[in-house]
Amino acid sequence: MKTGVSVFPALVLLVMTSSLARADAAAGQAVFESNGCQSCHYTQGPATEKTIADQLAKKGPELWYAGSKFQRPWLETWLVDPQPIRPMKFNSVMEPNPGGHAVLSADQVGPVADYLMSLRSDIVQDGAVKVKKKNLKGKLIFIKKMPCSGCHQFPTKKKFSGGLSGPSLIGAGKRLNPDWVLAYLREPKVFKPVKMMPVFVGVLSDKDMKNVAAHVATFK
Amino acid sequence: MTRLFLTTLLIVALSPAFTGAAQAADGEALFGFYCAQCHGTGGEGDGPNVTGDFPVDPRNFTETAEMEKISDADIRNVIIDGGPIADKSPMMPPWGKTLTNAEVEALVGYLRQLCNCTGKTS
Ligand code: HEC
Ligand code: HEC
Ligand code: HEC
Repeated sequence: MKTGVSVFPALVLLVMTSSLARADAAAGQAVFESNGCQSCHYTQGPATEKTIADQLAKKGPELWYAGSKFQRPWLETWLVDPQPIRPMKFNSVMEPNPGGHAVLSADQVGPVADYLMSLRSDIVQDGAVKVKKKNLKGKLIFIKKMPCSGCHQFPTKKKFSGGLSGPSLIGAGKRLNPDWVLAYLREPKVFKPVKMMPVFVGVLSDKDMKNVAAHVATFK
Repeated sequence: MTRLFLTTLLIVALSPAFTGAAQAADGEALFGFYCAQCHGTGGEGDGPNVTGDFPVDPRNFTETAEMEKISDADIRNVIIDGGPIADKSPMMPPWGKTLTNAEVEALVGYLRQLCNCTGKTS
């Protein structure tokens, strides 16, 4: 995709970019469907889960806002070499994650990434989180004031620490879009109406949410 | 007339709002989903989050003697506002913005079932 675009003259590029992206997304959607990805991942928002049973019936995380949630380079790397993200098996409290996620080939990954990156939620506000090298307020919330570290693994000076029930946040700085993390905290019902993570609206101020999102963005 | 009444009952029973309420009252299912990750599936304080890194032991709800010391109101407050409201660890999250009042009550009831105790009154 990258090299393909660079050989187009600028003028054509201007006119064509948006329709090209759409064409690639459509090709990616076809690859996604022919690989049976949609048997475990739904890609049409908004969220429909209303009860614990609805949440537990899903075989994989919903991807209808994947383009707002993930960073594209991470997505491209992960889809060809998927490593466990959740320490525990999806939707299980006690069973460890067995791994073995479906793998895409090198020629499939570009179009599928185009497709997934085209799935966006307009609730995510671009640039809302200012990421710096450190965010000490956010760090204090994450490890001390709030129970985040009780459910999420995160990197430490030594190696890593934290609980196992939530997705690991090791490497979250490369995996997640910080603006999506903020939106996830601000609008818990939009992305995951029913989940094992507590709602922090009314517990954390908007400023605190920004700080903790900025801290998560520093996780290597 | 009776038949109309029964049909209405059936419709009400099958409507999503009603089944939602029925589920909300299921303390065991709520516990398995929200609480077992720390307190363990059997409530013994041994969920998957309690690794060597975990700073405090989550309460073992099957310890009758310990659970007798706290009232239903104490339990309710900790569930809603988290550990710090009772001078306990912030590792016990506040669930008041996540759960409905009916769900909190169902959980209080379920913890009483686990400890097989009634707790101090007041
Ligand atoms: C058998 C069910 C299943 C199939 C089929 C499947 N996935 Fe997944 N997928 C999962 C589960 C479960 C996870 C969570 C994995 C983890 O946490 O380690 C996941 C995670 C993901 C993620 C990361 C999402 C997140 O929120 O962490 C992406 C992206 C993804 N899958 C894409 C795909 C694509 C593309 C395909 C088709 C090639 C596919 N999946 C096929 C079950 C499935
Ligand atoms: C009681 C356990 C628990 C606590 C406490 C908790 N989380 Fe979570 N968190 C989860 C679970 C479980 C998920 C996954 C929900 C799902 O996908 O169904 C999650 C998801 C997330 C995600 C999205 C990760 C992804 O890849 O999808 C982020 C970011 C996050 N939590 C940050 C936080 C922050 C910041 C805090 C503290 C303010 C926090 N969490 C507190 C359990 C917890
Ligand atoms: C992130 C882990 C975690 C989750 C999830 C969690 N708890 Fe706790 N809980 C704890 C810890 C740790 C303590 C002990 C705090 C202390 O002793 O300082 C505790 C203490 C309690 C207490 C106080 C008991 C006493 O002795 O006063 C109650 C009640 C309680 N939890 C109920 C619940 C319920 C109900 C849920 C599910 C809605 C839940 N907890 C979910 C970690 C958790």
